[in-house]
Amino acid sequence: MSAQDYTRQEMMAIATGREIRDGELAIFGVGLAMLAGYFAQAHHAPRVRAMTEGGVYGATPVGGLPWGIECNRISTNATSFTNAIDALGYLVASGRCDVGIIGAAQVDRFGNVNTTGIWDGPIGETYRPPKTRLTGAGGANDIACGAKRTLIMVAHEPKRFVDKVTYISSPGYLEGSDARARYGFPGGGPAAIITTLGILRPLPDTREFALDSWFAFSSIAEIKANTGWALEVSPDARVAPEPTDAELAALRRVDETGALRKKN
Amino acid sequence: MPDSKLMTLPEAVARFTWDGMQYASGAALPVGSDAIVFGRELLRQQRRDLHAIFHCNTQQLNLLAATGAVTRAECGFSGLEVFGFANGLRRAVESGRLALEDYSNLAMPLRLLGGALGWPFVPATVNIGSDIQFRSAFDPAQPPCREKIPSVVDPFTGRTIGAFRPLTPDLAAIHVTLADPLGNAIMLGTEWSRFELSRAAKKVVLIADAIVDTGCMRQFPNLVRIPDIIVEAVVHWPFAAWPQGSPGMYDIDEAHMTLMNQALATEAGTDAYVRDFVHGYRDVASYLDMIGRETCTRLSGTATSFLLDPFRQWLLPAEGTAA
Repeated sequence: MSAQDYTRQEMMAIATGREIRDGELAIFGVGLAMLAGYFAQAHHAPRVRAMTEGGVYGATPVGGLPWGIECNRISTNATSFTNAIDALGYLVASGRCDVGIIGAAQVDRFGNVNTTGIWDGPIGETYRPPKTRLTGAGGANDIACGAKRTLIMVAHEPKRFVDKVTYISSPGYLEGSDARARYGFPGGGPAAIITTLGILRPLPDTREFALDSWFAFSSIAEIKANTGWALEVSPDARVAPEPTDAELAALRRVDETGALRKKN
Repeated sequence: MPDSKLMTLPEAVARFTWDGMQYASGAALPVGSDAIVFGRELLRQQRRDLHAIFHCNTQQLNLLAATGAVTRAECGFSGLEVFGFANGLRRAVESGRLALEDYSNLAMPLRLLGGALGWPFVPATVNIGSDIQFRSAFDPAQPPCREKIPSVVDPFTGRTIGAFRPLTPDLAAIHVTLADPLGNAIMLGTEWSRFELSRAAKKVVLIADAIVDTGCMRQFPNLVRIPDIIVEAVVHWPFAAWPQGSPGMYDIDEAHMTLMNQALATEAGTDAYVRDFVHGYRDVASYLDMIGRETCTRLSGTATSFLLDPFRQWLLPAEGTAA
């Protein structure tokens, strides 16, 4: 499979899906996160116990990328409909859920996520409206607090990879090291940031994210140039395996309408 | 025999809403169930200064924010999922016309649960440690904010957690798939937070896509998650969540979702939208004409329509459900 045969977004979805193991209890956010999760189910994790935060169980998307966690494309073959406290509370905030996939507008060196807004500089002492209002936390904050592992999917651009996010919508490792322990979250924090260029993982002591692998079409230099902090490179960093034919076929069955093929 | 609670939409809005009230809509799903047509009627009756309690933003909140009818809102999520940012809400927040207090999608139903149970607060093990806890649009001068989600100590373990403020909205307009004339309701698809909302709100009005005979409720009592004794009124309004979808009944109107959100991005577009799609109908029949009868037929051809099959024998004809 050569680099021309798949898009960067497809590689990101496949790399994210590879993080999901068969049999895990998993919660998928909307959009790309859902495609990555259902790709894993279609390819190597047929017994993944998948749900959406809407409390939709047993479903696989029908007719293309679902418009939302509740939409008819995911309600057509569900085996159970419940509610938000069930999915996000009983099964996620409680600490039961193995893995959750979330997105980000901005992410920082400790894996903290901003999906709330973009300000022109620091917010300052008094809270003020953002210059650009984004979508808010949704269920991502609950997943970031409760899921045993969180996977963050985000396009690798300098404006998104910042030293410190202006607003923490969903907590990563906060100020790093064991800062999360102050709050006693049952969840372990972000296990990986999977981007359109490569994969970052937290260093064991500081919990700062370092480069773990790059994709065949990218490079360490390109990733560093698109990261807003002095990115460390793990000693054993390597190129991630390219998608196999079977992986691409499984992803494209899930991504029936080609949402991941439109942009590169 | 208890009395029918069927009521027209204009009457329900006239009787149960007022300027400055705390108004909640359910399910407040961004592309799914929501009492959107109730919001259109709020605008037709020129309600103002509303304090919106929405689990998530929807096209209803997007519209109410764009027109300036809402001045305060509390949400767990403020976008439209794959349809993108909510342009009307976004414009109102960025300009400072609307104060948007952020929570998460678990925090909102937990706060409704606390309101429903009459608890003084709900223990918060999410939202703590993030700026959702430390920053408040309702109380902006306090950094870090100590009033929104105050820190409290778990008396059993000594762990520091947070306290969520319970919610008891003045009114919940709740979209349901099926209601009987007495106010028993069945929801197809995720119920999201409608169970908690129906118990937390001081008053509940149901907006039903279809009306069924009470025999349906007796056949499926386990599915009746909102019972008549907590319901004030039942409004029958087909395609009540349009342009959003309703499992078993109709799919999302993708073209109108996009058209509406684009219109709400500007003041002029919002004015045109209000003229065409808020004042563009007189009654249910002209509302369906406005959507387009062919569109209605196409959206009704949803792959989920089999979900309605067990209930079809109890559906009441529209003539029987006029209030």
